Amino acid sequence: MSELIRPGYDFHKETHTEPMVINMGPSHPATHGTVRFFLTLDGEIIEQIEVEIGYLHRAFEKECENQFWNGVFPYTDRLDYTAAALNNVGYALAAEKLIGITVPERCQYLRVIAGELARLSGHYTNLGAAALELGALTAFIYFVEARELVWDLIESLCGARLTHNYVRIGGVTADLPEGFAEHAREVFRRNRELWDDFAKLLLKNRIFLDRMRATGGISRQDAIEWGFTGPCLRACGVPYDVRRAQPYLVYGQLDFDIPVGETGDNLDRFLVRLEEINQSIRILEQCLERIPPGPINVDNPEWRQPSKDDIHRDMESMIFHFKNTFEGQKIPAGEVYQAIEGANGELGFYLVSSGAGKPLKCRVRPPCFALTSAMPLMVKGAFLADLIPTFDMINLIGGECDR
Amino acid sequence: MAIGIKKVDSNITLTLWERMYAPEIIRGLYITMRHFTVNLWGLALEALGRRDKRKIMTVYYPEETLTPPPAYRGRPVLVRAENGLEKCVACGLCEVACPPKCIKITGGERENGDRYPLTYELDGGRCIFCGFCEEVCPKDAIVMSAEWRELCEYGRARMVYQKEALLYPQRNLQKRINLIRSRYFGVSRYRGKA
Amino acid sequence: MISPELIETAAKIIFVFALTLGFFAPVLGWVERKQSAVMQDRIGANRAGVFGFTVIGLLHSLADAIKLVFKEDFTPRGAEKALHTLAPVMAVIPALIAFAVIPFGGQYTLWGHRVNLVVADLDVGLLFVFAISSISTYGVVIAGWASNNNWSLLGGLRASAQMFSYEVAMGLTVIALVMYYQSLSLVEIVAKQENFWHWGIVWHWPAFLLFFSCAIAENKRVPFDAPEAESELVAGYFTEYSGMKFVMFWAAEFIEMVTIAGMCVALFLGGHHIPFVTQAGLAEALGAFGPNGAQVAAMLIGVGVFVFKLILLLALQMAVRWTLPRFRYDQIMKLGWKMILPLSLAWISLTGAAILAGVMPRP
Repeated sequence: MSELIRPGYDFHKETHTEPMVINMGPSHPATHGTVRFFLTLDGEIIEQIEVEIGYLHRAFEKECENQFWNGVFPYTDRLDYTAAALNNVGYALAAEKLIGITVPERCQYLRVIAGELARLSGHYTNLGAAALELGALTAFIYFVEARELVWDLIESLCGARLTHNYVRIGGVTADLPEGFAEHAREVFRRNRELWDDFAKLLLKNRIFLDRMRATGGISRQDAIEWGFTGPCLRACGVPYDVRRAQPYLVYGQLDFDIPVGETGDNLDRFLVRLEEINQSIRILEQCLERIPPGPINVDNPEWRQPSKDDIHRDMESMIFHFKNTFEGQKIPAGEVYQAIEGANGELGFYLVSSGAGKPLKCRVRPPCFALTSAMPLMVKGAFLADLIPTFDMINLIGGECDR
Repeated sequence: MAIGIKKVDSNITLTLWERMYAPEIIRGLYITMRHFTVNLWGLALEALGRRDKRKIMTVYYPEETLTPPPAYRGRPVLVRAENGLEKCVACGLCEVACPPKCIKITGGERENGDRYPLTYELDGGRCIFCGFCEEVCPKDAIVMSAEWRELCEYGRARMVYQKEALLYPQRNLQKRINLIRSRYFGVSRYRGKA
Repeated sequence: MISPELIETAAKIIFVFALTLGFFAPVLGWVERKQSAVMQDRIGANRAGVFGFTVIGLLHSLADAIKLVFKEDFTPRGAEKALHTLAPVMAVIPALIAFAVIPFGGQYTLWGHRVNLVVADLDVGLLFVFAISSISTYGVVIAGWASNNNWSLLGGLRASAQMFSYEVAMGLTVIALVMYYQSLSLVEIVAKQENFWHWGIVWHWPAFLLFFSCAIAENKRVPFDAPEAESELVAGYFTEYSGMKFVMFWAAEFIEMVTIAGMCVALFLGGHHIPFVTQAGLAEALGAFGPNGAQVAAMLIGVGVFVFKLILLLALQMAVRWTLPRFRYDQIMKLGWKMILPLSLAWISLTGAAILAGVMPRP
């Protein structure tokens, strides 16, 4: 033993050890959303990490340039596919800002309802998956059950469970179906029960707390510098939420809280998301109570999609319908940036129009891209096992990050 | 404006007793076993013929299926009118509006001058079930049916549906046609005027 | 040359094989699926069937076995072929052998022939179990090393560290019991638990909790499944295994569960004894069957009680597995060395003091 502690002894040099280079992903159980980590491990400690994204690149932005303005909506569904309606809302708001129209109040409420349901589904997926990858499969399935119930609601409203394709420029496709409010109340009651079970299974459990606490942390300053938004930024204690900073739709009239954390570690991120589920349900309950009667589209046939009755009976609507479908809406030339609060953070759409029926450029600011780029900062020097909760709380959605 | 800020409490302190793991395991077991007993009781009642008592939310798929809500967008199909002819007039709106470009129409004309689709080809392998075709159709000639089971095929070529495979009699689809008339984009701008 | 002893031993071996390999290994596979499903508001596996009879999913174990037998036996390039094949064998055999010294019933006199319901009544049965179960560590480590896969290697490393550490703690937890029962023979320990107040769990429940958690850690099940953590290490040490070799690891896990439960029953839960019923009392109550019939009936009841206790402990292991998240590797080590080991040492001292002071009367 004595030679081990003699001065100048270099353990690594004299024992001929070298770090293990290991390739995590793109097909690895933890790298859902398809991402690849090049890890350099010293035993279990991560010495180096390189993140490689782009495995789910589907040329969303290029594809948009070949679609009419309204034809982009199905593609936005496939950005953050766990919270599809939010992307629809973001794109529609950006396009409407470019035109300079505001949708009627009932439509705004409908968009908030669809968006918050989508946010619920996104958070349920994320938190459930985080529990799953720490080994708590039962907690995961409880949240999957909650998500299925939310999807039932979304399905009855939008017509599809995953790719909602619900919003259009100038309005939404459909009004609330009959009995939606009662159905929603029933779903929220069950979901609160499942939320309680989920929280009880994990939040007092020392195994879970030890895994989440003080792992993957980032300082408030670093988080701002790296462009963090959403729950990961709020976990650091910065109360930035687009819904609060620049209220859009009817969020300014609603009564809800923005949960913020303190330390910015995985546990805070987890708790912020968990609380956001409650706040989203609160928003939804208020919306269902307050939603006013009225039209769900703007009145101008140049921008709105006509109802079937109008196509059959109204010449002007019919003409604009054919014109808009064959040539696309002639959105005035210009450029615009509109951000909304996505499930992961600030989801921004930057649109450029040349006055033609198709976007000249459609650029998305994906929230999880900024978060993923800070991965090395958060996990360097940590255990290999800490990579898992950190990556889960980053919530990389391949469709959104790679586009 | 009433958007407040709520601090989440991440300082979950555990008592010494809770730090010993055991109470947490018991609490967790209580929750999972509660679900277990409730579900098992429901399954037992189901075996006795009380299907409504089953608490489990999944279903035995091929034997039991879920009924999608009326708004559901299934496989797009063409409407065959009561007189046995297609309602489609081959205007080409669906062909243009289709984002993945899965519809191909060749228009033709009947002796009486009515337009009709000579061929109508829908590539089910490309279709993304977005419902744009149904939305834009001025004749209610293509609708999204409630058909969602077993749309899979061995090979992409077999998923290309020709006109004959797409045509469904109108009486089967009347419910959907009524729905989309009232559903899409709300009420008419001119209600009460026309 | 066929002596009654040989027949008796063969019968007992066949019974143990039937119980572990034939009954528990497939049934536990089914229970793991079904119990987790019902816990999680699902239905669970129910598709495999013969002419429409699915027997609530029980045939899935059979279907799995058939599928895995006919699967390609894959050895990755660069793997150490001999060791790659040897590793699963080294994992499954110790688990089976360890069951040899666990008594699944008492002693009975049938037609003048004394029957002892244990395959091998060793004087050092307890040591034998530890000795044998430590061999299964090699199976896991070799599997991790021989697979020529970085994830397997990490899994093997984690497994070696974890299993060695917990073996120490597990050995120490039973020392208090050995002091209490003054024997290393499991048969004798079970015999001394005839009185309910002498059951291990009455005085030694802390040792039971420690032993049970150590045993789960030995078996690498959640929450101690860091060596095979699927979200971190793909599948850990058996990433590169398929077909029958994979079945062996899979079966080894279930058989080891049974062995753990058997050990717990023998050490803490009174073996085949029914609480507050003595052997003599049982034989007397069954007197109506005649002297030999009473013995046979008592034997059957004893085995039944043992299996019932076994099933209770197995259900507990299953429920724990589906409830908890998993530890991080360093936290497992911390728990083993800084919590369980000192606690078991403390329990040894306490037991020693209590026995010397006469507070804890020995049976």
